[in-house]
Parts: sequence; structure tokens; C-alpha cells
Amino acid sequence: MSANLVDGVTMHYVDVRPSAGEAGVPVLLLHGFGTDFAMNWRAAGWERALEAAGRRVLGPDLRGHGASDKPRESTAYLPECFVADLLALLDTLEVERVDLVGYSMGSRLAWELALAAPDRIRRLVLGGFGPRDAFAGTDLSDPGAGEGAFDRVYRTVAALPGNDAEALAACARGQAARPFREEPAPAGIPLLLVAGARDELARDAAGLAERCGGSHVEVAGRDHANAVSARGFRQAVLAFLDS
Amino acid sequence: MAQENITFTLPDLGEGLVEATVLEWQVAVGETVERNAPLVEVETTKSAVVIPSPHTGRVVELHAEEEQAVPVGRPLVTFAVEGAPDAPGIVGRVPAEEARPARRVRLRPPTD
Repeated sequence: MSANLVDGVTMHYVDVRPSAGEAGVPVLLLHGFGTDFAMNWRAAGWERALEAAGRRVLGPDLRGHGASDKPRESTAYLPECFVADLLALLDTLEVERVDLVGYSMGSRLAWELALAAPDRIRRLVLGGFGPRDAFAGTDLSDPGAGEGAFDRVYRTVAALPGNDAEALAACARGQAARPFREEPAPAGIPLLLVAGARDELARDAAGLAERCGGSHVEVAGRDHANAVSARGFRQAVLAFLDS
Repeated sequence: MAQENITFTLPDLGEGLVEATVLEWQVAVGETVERNAPLVEVETTKSAVVIPSPHTGRVVELHAEEEQAVPVGRPLVTFAVEGAPDAPGIVGRVPAEEARPARRVRLRPPTD
């Protein structure tokens, strides 16, 4: 499905209701940089697992990604633009509250959404995310040219079929224009951070969890690219959402 | 009911991908797995993927160790399946009987 939400940018999303009846609030899944809902979540087994748990799944392709529109100006990718898209999506679907699960850039945006609309988020999960600057060591005027952690991510995703490398570079610059700040943290929302033990982009996730009064789960042996499909990750999140 | 052993090979996971590395088996030999339940988690150069089981059956053999690379088309797992094999879970099922056409057009010979 798609909706023309904000500034004429059309968002593609999936809205999957469990066949055996719904239990609990819907789960909004926010994918990472350069992927989309199908690749980050569906292929990694999340849609099936949540459906089995009786949860309705809302899965947008964030602007610049998947089947959604891909503007090429960095000002279209400021975190507040994504937040506006997501609030408009919830309003369009008449969904009052969600459990919010992000991965990587999706976690950064989940944090922003929770700050902007805390009353609409029941629980917050940040996957593959830490408080360090994700763009450290990367020249964002020419992403992919260097050897920073983000350069390597950019090179991988810019080559994926369907991606627009120029829109992704604009997206990176838009995100970098608003560096992540730990304070203020979303108040009153139970928080879980999950990351692979070898995820260099999520370093100090445990510290962030501790400073925000959240929980932290480490997925042994996994890195930024392959923690999201780990059974241990899904089980930790499902248990947290149902606790 | 008759049992049949069916071997499932690593499917094509996307354009240009020739192999995948097994990250974690979600089933063990001797276990019964439902069709569409998680079977194995693999990683390609592009992404990490959970492959659902194409059959309901008992797992007879796992053909790859964790951390082992498997070429597309090579055996991944062998199931013992009761009765007729299920349709594969990844592609659509072909209807057993073709539906009757909903509309019929009567052809008339020219009247002149």
C-alpha cells in the first residue's frame, strides 16, 4: 500500500494483520539505511514471528528507500521529516499507539519519534544502534570513498538493485546534520537495546541502555549486517514486547 | 502413510548471488518442522535471511555445518515427509483443477 503523506513524498508500506486474531498493540518496524522493509525485516523472519505472536505489523519503506519516493535534497532527510512521515502514517491508519522497533538508522529515527510523540509509543526497541557518531571517519561529501565504518555500509547498499545512490548520500547528509544526542531521552517508555557483539556501529549500546534506564541484550558472534536475522534477537524483542 | 525423503536445495536468493553461508540452523535432526516455520538462517554478501521450511516433516539430515558456505542449488536439508509432498513454500501452488471460465462467449456463424 502507499500513502501520499508529507510534502508530496509518497510512502510505500505494508500493513499485515495476523490471521488468527490480534493481540496487543501493532508493531511498527523501521528498517536501516539503504535497505527496506522486505529486506531488513521480512526476509529476516520478523513478519512471520510477529504474526505468530498475534501482532499486526506496520512496515514502511522510509523515504529514499524501497518503493517509496526518493528525493535528492539532504533537507528532505532531516530526522524530523521522517518523524512527520511516520506520524502521518499512524494518523492515516488511525493507529493510536504502537510498539516501535528500529534497526540501525531506523533506531535513530525511532528515538526521534519517541521524543516527538511519547504518548504514541508503548515500548521502544533500538537494534544495531549505539550512541557513537555513525559517520565518524566518513567524508559525507563523497560517502563510500573512504574506509570508515559508514563508508563500507554505503558501498554495500549503494550497489543494491533499486537503490538510488544519490538519494542515499543525501539521506546520510540529512541524518548527519542532526547529530544524535543522548539527552533528552524519551521519558516513560520502556527501552531495550539489542546489538551484535561484533557490531562496531553499535558500540556502547550497553552504556546508552544503562544511562537511560533501559535493558541491553548482546547477540553473540554477530555483526551489524547479520544480527537482525538472529533467533536470539527476535526472541529477546518478542519477550520484551510481551513482558 | 507412506513416507518419502525430500531434499531441499539452497534456493536462488537474489540476482548474482551464487552462495550463502549458514549462520544458524533453526531445526535439528530428528525434529519435526512445520511448513513455513523458520528452517535456517543464512547470510549472503548482501543480507541475512531466514529461510522458511518448504515442507512439514521430520528433519533427516542437515547437509551443511554452521559457518559453512553452500552454493545455490546444493543440498541444504533432507526431510521425511508423510504422503504426497507439499507444494514448495516459496512459489505459489498450482490449483489441482483449473477453474471453469466465468464467462462464456457463444460464437454464431455469420447469418448472411
